[in-house]
Amino acid sequence: MSATDPTSPSVLPEPVPAPEKILRRLFLTLFLRGRGARGLNKQRVPKSIGEKLALTLGIYLLFGCMALFFLGQPVFALAVYLHAMTFMFLGMFIASSAGEILFNKEEADILLHRPISPKAMLWAKVRVLVEVSLWLAFAFNLAGLFVGFGSAGNWRFPIVHLASTTLEALFCTGCVVLTYQLCLRWFGRERLEGLMTTAQVFVAVAAVMSGQILPRLVFRVGHVLNVGESSWWINLLPPAWFAGLDDAFAGSAALDSWLLAVLAVAVTALILWIAFDKLAHDYETGLQALNETISTRVKKQNHRRWLDRLVNVPPLSWWLRDPVARASFLLTAAYLIRDRDVKLRVYPGIVPILILPFIFLFQNHHPNGSHDIGFGVPFSGIYLGMVPLLGLGILQYSQQWQASDIFRVAPMSGPAQICHGARRAVLCLLALPMLLLVVLIVWLLRGDLSQLILFLPGIIALPVFALVPSIGGKGVPLSLPTDAAKAAGRGLNMILVMIVAFALAWLASLSWSQGWFWWLMLGETIVAIGLYAVMRVALANVRWPSIE
Amino acid sequence: MMIVLDQLTKRFGTQTAVDALSFEIPAGQIVGFLGPNGAGKSTTLKMLTGMIEPSGGRATVCGYDLQREPIEVKRHVGFVPESGAVFESLTGLEYLEMVAALYGIPQNAARARIKQFIAFFDLSFETLTDKLLGAYSKGMRRKVVITSALLHNPPVVFFDEPLDGLDANAAVGFKALIQTLAREGKTIVYSSHILDVVERVCHRVIIIDKGRLLLDGKPDELVAAHSAGTLEKLFTQLTGGAELERRAEDFARTFRP
Repeated sequence: MSATDPTSPSVLPEPVPAPEKILRRLFLTLFLRGRGARGLNKQRVPKSIGEKLALTLGIYLLFGCMALFFLGQPVFALAVYLHAMTFMFLGMFIASSAGEILFNKEEADILLHRPISPKAMLWAKVRVLVEVSLWLAFAFNLAGLFVGFGSAGNWRFPIVHLASTTLEALFCTGCVVLTYQLCLRWFGRERLEGLMTTAQVFVAVAAVMSGQILPRLVFRVGHVLNVGESSWWINLLPPAWFAGLDDAFAGSAALDSWLLAVLAVAVTALILWIAFDKLAHDYETGLQALNETISTRVKKQNHRRWLDRLVNVPPLSWWLRDPVARASFLLTAAYLIRDRDVKLRVYPGIVPILILPFIFLFQNHHPNGSHDIGFGVPFSGIYLGMVPLLGLGILQYSQQWQASDIFRVAPMSGPAQICHGARRAVLCLLALPMLLLVVLIVWLLRGDLSQLILFLPGIIALPVFALVPSIGGKGVPLSLPTDAAKAAGRGLNMILVMIVAFALAWLASLSWSQGWFWWLMLGETIVAIGLYAVMRVALANVRWPSIE
Repeated sequence: MMIVLDQLTKRFGTQTAVDALSFEIPAGQIVGFLGPNGAGKSTTLKMLTGMIEPSGGRATVCGYDLQREPIEVKRHVGFVPESGAVFESLTGLEYLEMVAALYGIPQNAARARIKQFIAFFDLSFETLTDKLLGAYSKGMRRKVVITSALLHNPPVVFFDEPLDGLDANAAVGFKALIQTLAREGKTIVYSSHILDVVERVCHRVIIIDKGRLLLDGKPDELVAAHSAGTLEKLFTQLTGGAELERRAEDFARTFRP
């Protein structure tokens, strides 16, 4: 036996890390590297995910510079803004990642038979969620820390704000986990998948609403928001509690701030205790339930028949004459309606799109009933172009991405027809209902049908926006692993759409007030038809790339 | 000849996965395509089905050139990939109808063919219409994937580990099916690690390692020529498996947990 033989009694056994530590390292590696990466090169996978994460952090960092507008404002106003936005970003991130991290279907086979307690597994995952969300939070809050330090001249602000942000991350994670566990407990394992989706969508919606409403309130209250001077209901929103913590230790130290701070600590502690201690056992039940098949039976009066009928009646049957486009439409529609993973990413992703136009609409709506034409209505219409853009962008990713190899094996030279089917499904099932919803809201809000004409610029631009994700044949649905979705690459398209929406809405409102609106529509129609034709021809010429 | 490979090569960067592979397969033949892990079998099959582009050489399937007429090649081949991946949020019927549409088969004709396959595989139509694929057992999912590969009645079919997940009865049925298909004139390329099945079912075996052709011939003739006794022994002789057996014995002797 050699001296280096690990079985030699002369060598002291190495200390074995605790299971929690091993699990935390495992889940962090899986999160950064991805679970479904294709390819041989181990070095490239983590690097690419890491690069994408770094890019995301960079964007958060830049976006955080908006805090500079709060220079000279009271600590409470700055803290409310920072916590509201952080709450939104963390809520969105945790809600969209929690499903994959907390309840991964394949994981039961890999880990449930190992000598690991469900509590240890849950804690390890929660630590990873909190850790990554803190990176995002830190990137976003960095500028705010300097603003707080600079405007209040208070060295305690950065320290207290970091602590309160950590508490906020724990609160967000605890809420998501608790929501799952309560769903499990109250509704049973049979409906877990559906409930998880619904719960996660609601958590994301709540996070976005809470994050979007509060900063605007800050601007509305005459640019000054002091604790105790705002509406009572603001104190019901979680970001205000954490802002109270900042204000108590590094701001006015008013009694109201202390009350909010106590509320923040107490509620977070309570949620963590219930989620990670009291109901930890339910987590194991949930993981087991995911591997059971009872919940995946489609009901008798199922979506399939509804979808079948939909594609067989005009005008959809005319639009889907091509059998490949129709098959792609049905596939995309089925995933938008049924697939937990897709729903969890699509619907929470779309919520912020709805909120921004509403804000513009409400801003132009005066309490006395009068309103400006402004650019609220045209902006709402054009901004809806973001729906197909975001929907198709998200739909490219799926846990079953390997199944899309069938498209490459099939006798098709390129992905054009598959992309068209997916695009039409997103237009029919996401963009059209949202357009109708916004039209209804505008009509109810303004009570003036003539203003609905201002949606025309958006409706004309919609087909062009919907083709953008397919440029270069990239819009093939369900063809990429979900890990690749953790990128900020879509951001560029979003910014582009936002710029176009602002410019076109401004032009529309100007032309409406000066009487050349219909000339603008004519010009836009010509440009849109030209762009649409060029993009379609380009897409038709795209060939399948080799899958190396 | 239904399949012709002429110096077919695939390189991934500096690594050569398939190295100037050449062989020909006539109609009606069942060919066992064998090799150890990483030998280049799946890469070859993916090239022959048009999923990845060759780096060199040429190949024809049913007389169509792989690089010049890839769509015609795809129209004439069926492929059961090793992954067996399906869209789990579709029902079995939805998935099969989607695949049929990709091959231009009308819905009614597709449904009639699907019914034939489900009867053969002993699946219930209710299961196929009411259950999402995510809820299927591995074997049931494999049956759906095999059906999807044969739905358009291709003259050439590539199977990559098709028996994975099938129970004994289904495996027996499947073997009978491919023999029937071959008798009808279809060319079957069958890649598997279950060598006794290959030995019993295949008319011919092609063994590759490190992307290169090692052996090509009838199983019984190859076994006899190398005095190996069985195809499995021949395979281990050729691909270094004998050395592995010795190492396993050493390991079992010395392993102390």
